Amino acid sequence: MNTLVLASELTKRPVVTLEGEAVAQIKDTVFDGPAGQITGFTLNGRGLLSGPLKQSLPWPAVHALGRHAVMILGREVLAEPAAVVASGEAAGGGVLGVRVLTDEGTDAGTVLDVVVEADGRVAGFQVAAIEPPEHRRRTVFIPRGEGVAVSGQALVIPAEACRFVADDLPSFTAQVEIFRTRQAARGTGAGQEGRERTW
Amino acid sequence: MVMLFSQARGLPVVTAGEAAELGTVDALTIDASAQCISHVRLSGTRAKGHPVLAWNLVRTVGQDAVIAHSTPAAETTPTQAPVHREALGSRVLTDLGDEHGAVKDIAFDPTTGHIRTIYTTLGPIPGPRLIGLGDYALVVRAH
Repeated sequence: MNTLVLASELTKRPVVTLEGEAVAQIKDTVFDGPAGQITGFTLNGRGLLSGPLKQSLPWPAVHALGRHAVMILGREVLAEPAAVVASGEAAGGGVLGVRVLTDEGTDAGTVLDVVVEADGRVAGFQVAAIEPPEHRRRTVFIPRGEGVAVSGQALVIPAEACRFVADDLPSFTAQVEIFRTRQAARGTGAGQEGRERTW
Repeated sequence: MVMLFSQARGLPVVTAGEAAELGTVDALTIDASAQCISHVRLSGTRAKGHPVLAWNLVRTVGQDAVIAHSTPAAETTPTQAPVHREALGSRVLTDLGDEHGAVKDIAFDPTTGHIRTIYTTLGPIPGPRLIGLGDYALVVRAH
């Protein structure tokens, strides 16, 4: 499994070509909520006086999402802002601060940040838990399930996901692995049930 | 045999035919895609700026001097030279976007100019892994 990173930590990470030239830095991460995948990035110029760029970085053009830089083949892979923003929601305006509900109707808190993998998948969410009787710390990580639903108002997660909560990113990595294995195992036998519960 | 960039800096550049001194080595310019030295940047000449000597005019880099093929001084003007990117001290990034320290020194073949080893603050990297050298970083393949 890939290293997990908070979407907010991607902000200001330099965008560097394989020729070693820094062409931009990350402004916002844009997500496709239903697909659970990074759509791309909006960009700022580099340097003190640089503002937003009239270019964006679509996810398919990313060569590698590294710990210190986002690598691209060359400047020519940058695209119109519409290539990224029209098909997703900017991290700032989309899911952050949104209410988290389980599919059994339990309020699980509000979204603080999005946890992503190096391959661009959304692994889960950093959540400010409102009632922490079973969690001593208020900030927890909840894995993203297959049945996740996102809107501007709420994020609905499978109730089962709440049993895989972690207090920090390293232990969350292991939790996501276990959660996915369970879901995959259920997926083969629970296809019938899944269709009946369409709403 | 290999030479280091740090050893080459400051060496006099002398033509083989006339024993004329063209200047001293200021820096070596790398063609990262070819993993090879492309030019020798000179200093200590009367000309303004840094004249450059294309690598194909260099016969060898020895312990005490760089021997150049006999060449008119006019050919040492920086007209068609690429932009010089200083490799020594540069940040090192892998193609996966992870940092790997900074460049301490570079070993090269003194006759062909091929980059043999890039010595970084986090250990050596084989020269054939070099893929880019830009304003931000020297880029190497991670594997």
